[in-house]
Amino acid sequence: MTHLPWFSTRRLLGGLIAVVAALLLLGLPGLVNSYQLFLACLVMTMATAGLGLVLIMGWSGQIVLAQAGFMGVGAYGTTSLVALGLPWPLAVLLAGLVAALIGVAIGLPATRLRGFYLAIATLAFAELMLRIFIEAEPITGGIAGLVVTPVVLGNLDVGGSRWYLCLGLAAVTALAVWRIGRSGLGRRLRAVRDADVAVGSLAISATRAKLLAFALSAFIGALAGAAYAQVLTYLTPHIFGLTLLIELLIVAFLGGVSYVGGPFLGAVVVIGLRELLQDIGSWQRLAFGLVLALVVGFLPRGLASLRSRIGAARRRRADTSTATPQARDVTAGVAS
Amino acid sequence: MSQQIISGLQAGSWYALMALAIVLVLKATDVPNFAMAEMGLFPAFCIWTLVGPLEQSYWLAVPAGLIIGAALALLVERVAIRPVLAESHFTTVLMTIAMFVAINAVTQLVWGSVPRTIDSPFGGSVTVAGQVVDAEQLVSIGAGVAVMLGLLVFFRSRIGVQMQAIAEDRVTPRLLGVSVNRVFRISWALAGMIATVAMLLQGQASLLTDQNGAGLVIKGFVAATLGGFSSVTGAFVGGLALGVAENLAGDFISTSAKSAVALLAIVVVLTLKPRGLFGRARAREV
Repeated sequence: MTHLPWFSTRRLLGGLIAVVAALLLLGLPGLVNSYQLFLACLVMTMATAGLGLVLIMGWSGQIVLAQAGFMGVGAYGTTSLVALGLPWPLAVLLAGLVAALIGVAIGLPATRLRGFYLAIATLAFAELMLRIFIEAEPITGGIAGLVVTPVVLGNLDVGGSRWYLCLGLAAVTALAVWRIGRSGLGRRLRAVRDADVAVGSLAISATRAKLLAFALSAFIGALAGAAYAQVLTYLTPHIFGLTLLIELLIVAFLGGVSYVGGPFLGAVVVIGLRELLQDIGSWQRLAFGLVLALVVGFLPRGLASLRSRIGAARRRRADTSTATPQARDVTAGVAS
Repeated sequence: MSQQIISGLQAGSWYALMALAIVLVLKATDVPNFAMAEMGLFPAFCIWTLVGPLEQSYWLAVPAGLIIGAALALLVERVAIRPVLAESHFTTVLMTIAMFVAINAVTQLVWGSVPRTIDSPFGGSVTVAGQVVDAEQLVSIGAGVAVMLGLLVFFRSRIGVQMQAIAEDRVTPRLLGVSVNRVFRISWALAGMIATVAMLLQGQASLLTDQNGAGLVIKGFVAATLGGFSSVTGAFVGGLALGVAENLAGDFISTSAKSAVALLAIVVVLTLKPRGLFGRARAREV
């Protein structure tokens, strides 16, 4: 890894872009119409849910197919707790903790499972949660649905409040996930992914690391669900079904499942596809299926890997034409 | 009570057939195929088109459907699966989920979401040992048994033995002159036909809808898990047991309990006996 000097044009440019992007995002309600703002809210929400998948699928390498269910727990939990009189932030936190507990409950047997066994168990669990959303009519309203009380921040209007809520949640989650990635837990998770059996000899408890990943990603899923409820304003059980699952998989994998920025890119594409193929659910689902197949088949490490791939190809070309063996060693060192 | 068990055995036969298709593909190519049910649902809808709007004979439509099922499986294997065959389960699971959604979307686009009924020639009921049984139920259970026996014989045949050898080790059989690709194609085509039978039987006994696949594929995986994923008889017995347990739970507890049975079964089995009720332990590689 190379260290840039504290002042350089590259750093300055990067900082400038970040500041402009932040200002744009903060001022978005004044720049776009209410429908576009609604779409931007959806992007942030999907990205938040995808960040949970980065943790569990990207870093700890477990196939967990229950994130749509956790979003449902967050959405229904928060909405019904608010209806009971709790303030929204507290309701979100409680719903998140419930989801985390459920996550650990799935995780307990699941930490013994590997590969596709885990996929089956979590998919079966997601089905069960969907059934519960349908059956638990007193809480969820069943098939008939549930109206969500909008949260209003200060003297903002509903649309604006919703945007800052979604943006804030996405930003905080992205920051937290990024921090976790650089912490000891992040390193342990990746170690567990790469050598499940071997880490035992390094006094790393694979089970504990996996359970933490389950709890955290479920918690994040519930946060995203709470925001999703605010955006949709009306909940029915089938919102949290298979289509949401496949959308979340694209969100997580399109950009590259181990990058914190990946889900934001994926969410833009998913919401864009939803918009393009608005009225026809089947075309949407066909597009989602094909996009996921293409990503898995040709870009298993996502669009983010394109850059390093192109870079590698360029370096290889430079190597063969001009570089001396010594220079090649230097570039190889930089690349790693 | 006994009526509940017979309905359970009927549904269990569909689960068992789906499990057999899944196990066949997994055994030969090591791919956990989450698109298995959708790969049978599309040809089942083709059979509906032939029998219903096109007014063809059922006995002509079914073989045609089986051929379509085999062709679809070959197409999926060639286009989507072979490029990622060397990858881990993580990749193949995602790829087959993508296929699951894509094929289901195509089925929806062609036939819509209206439930269809297939006019099968199996009407009425017969009395077996003092118990009234629908002909449709007998056909489902009989087809399940027949496919299981057929697979048992198949695995003892030359190509079946080659298939099992390839599942264990991809290199050595190749050195001995076994065409791995040919074995893969045969196993996928067979599985596609078995999945077609499962979806057809379920569709003609109840209703054929675009949602049938999602439910049945999970049940198939649960049944295969009960059986330990490597044994044909295990998968079959697992399917029947799941069907009966679901029906009894639905009858004695509640309809919502019915949908929890599959999950409960999978959690209990995977926690207590991760290799299934009939599976044998395998060493884990570091």
